[in-house]
Amino acid sequence: MKRLLLLPFALIACLAFTGCGPSDSSSDSAAPGEKQLTVGVAFETLQTEYWVAGFDAIKAELKKRNIKVLEAISDSDANRQLEQIKSFVTRKVDGIIMVPKDAKTCIPAIRAANEAGIPIVLFNRVADRSDVKFVGVQADNAALTEETVKFMVEEARKTGKKHKAMLIMGDLGDLNAIGRRDGFDAAVKGNEDVVEVVARVPSEWNQEKAQAGVVNALQANPDISFIFTSSDFLFPSIVSALKSSGKYHKIGEEGHVILGGFDGDATAWQMMSDGYLDATGVQDVYFEAEASVQAILDLLEEKEVAELINDPGFVIHQGNKDEMKERMWGFIVSKQQVGDQ
Amino acid sequence: MIKSAQRLLSSEYLILILCALYFTAMAPFVDGFASMGNLGNIFIYMLPLLVVATGQTIVLITAGIDLSVTSIIALASVTGAMVINGETGALAGSALATPVGILIMLAVGAAIGLLNGLLITQFRMPPFIVTLTTMMFFSGFAIWLTKSKSIYGFPSSFLIFGKNIWLAGAVTLIVALVGHFLLTRTLLGRWLYAVGHNPKAALISGVPVNRVLVLTYVVCGLCAGVAAVLISGRLETGSPVHWRNNLLDIIGATVIGGTSLYGGRGKVLWTFFGVLFLTLIDNSLNLLNLSHFTIMMVKGGVILAAALLDSVRNRMGGRT
Repeated sequence: MKRLLLLPFALIACLAFTGCGPSDSSSDSAAPGEKQLTVGVAFETLQTEYWVAGFDAIKAELKKRNIKVLEAISDSDANRQLEQIKSFVTRKVDGIIMVPKDAKTCIPAIRAANEAGIPIVLFNRVADRSDVKFVGVQADNAALTEETVKFMVEEARKTGKKHKAMLIMGDLGDLNAIGRRDGFDAAVKGNEDVVEVVARVPSEWNQEKAQAGVVNALQANPDISFIFTSSDFLFPSIVSALKSSGKYHKIGEEGHVILGGFDGDATAWQMMSDGYLDATGVQDVYFEAEASVQAILDLLEEKEVAELINDPGFVIHQGNKDEMKERMWGFIVSKQQVGDQ
Repeated sequence: MIKSAQRLLSSEYLILILCALYFTAMAPFVDGFASMGNLGNIFIYMLPLLVVATGQTIVLITAGIDLSVTSIIALASVTGAMVINGETGALAGSALATPVGILIMLAVGAAIGLLNGLLITQFRMPPFIVTLTTMMFFSGFAIWLTKSKSIYGFPSSFLIFGKNIWLAGAVTLIVALVGHFLLTRTLLGRWLYAVGHNPKAALISGVPVNRVLVLTYVVCGLCAGVAAVLISGRLETGSPVHWRNNLLDIIGATVIGGTSLYGGRGKVLWTFFGVLFLTLIDNSLNLLNLSHFTIMMVKGGVILAAALLDSVRNRMGGRT
């Protein structure tokens, strides 16, 4: 029984002393006389391809510059994320790159970094502006979504029919989700002769909720023929719902539902190359990662850095996919996955 | 040798000894673990956990369980925030905002606790099922109420309850002392242990079992309401998902401390030791830069070991 009690203690000791599983991506040590910088990278979650790609891109960028990385994932817990940022402060990191859980609960964490004099950059998702200081790197969600949906509207116009539309929204505590919703509305406004929005599904960035919402919307409006999702990671749920109602057809086939998304992940690439997806707004994850790391270095050198660094992104669609695919992170990830197999 | 092992396992300071050993073992190897800044972080992180675990201790002593505490924290947080936030709150800018906000959070906690207690006693439903369903219901309600948005803009006089380490510490100490006093110096406390040992025998002896149980869940709900004040103040936000993933930490810390899942045994002091131990593990593994998933596995292992120990002590006829 005493051994049973000591087992977890021994396990903890093993993990501590052998370094089994530490997520410390140290690169080579600094040259003699030069202090190696350390940057803490705190993500809310790694539950979607975008976040995994972003996490890997940031680590690769830091490694390229010989910067040591400390990692933390908060599993969508704002309190835990605050603890993780405070741990970074305790460990006297030189900079912090964070993906906050939402725009408001991250403010105490940013404040903790500010009080310690540690530069902090928010990756892809910014906080509400208040008394705290940070640099934000993100896509212009509203503009990129508007451009994507405008392309979809033009495709709808070419069919000569009026389309009933569904919008799948994200978590409205996330400014990105609000931006994409606003972009969708801006694109549809003035085109009500072609597109009528009959369903708005609040997914809260949850695949199960998205699927349930899409199924319900399709039952209530079986003639929906235009769907935009605020994130490509929800496509598996949407495709599942479309297949079960017999509405998943390729572009050009009878009954094709005009599909559009945002992010540009590997699933979207596969759907695009298979001929199901009309368009998606692509966030340039490599640009955002590089800009985040550079912002940290510039802040450490006390250079002027813009409060918000915009990732212009781009729209990829059936008409330009061959020339744009190399810039699409989802295409690169899917190429790597095929290479690994 | 066996007697020494039994004495060690039965000691009420076993977890405290483990805390000291763990701290001593890890401090030389974990950068910053023993620094003043980090000790302050450990202390302030412990406080809301200790408050809500105190309420859970009282429930576990009666052989019950309250799974709804995290939903109480979330709903209390957003309900108070809706009334007192500086942008849209009915009491925005008022001098009464902070006291009313705190009262609202406590009232939400007490009300849900009362509902739990009544459902368990009047309908003779198992505490596990009742509090599981109220957890789901009130979690969903909190999200519906706020359309899943966080609410910002608490008055600064409210925020100090979560941010000022001394004030938060004083609040926590008061809750712990009240809980300790209740269990050790009052008739109600003796009734709680009696109900936990054997509710039928307690009833025959004249203990008003139903009233005791209802009061237990009200006290637990109140503790969750106090925790909501500390958490909302610390994070400066009312959120419908505050502490959504922390239920295992709450119950785990209580069980690690030595409170029995079988009822009839537990102390607030033990819960303090359990909270301290769990927080030390969480903090040290974080500083070691272990992944969140590794930390979860380690904590799960520790809590499992504590539950095993509880089972062993139960068989050994451990102390009350």
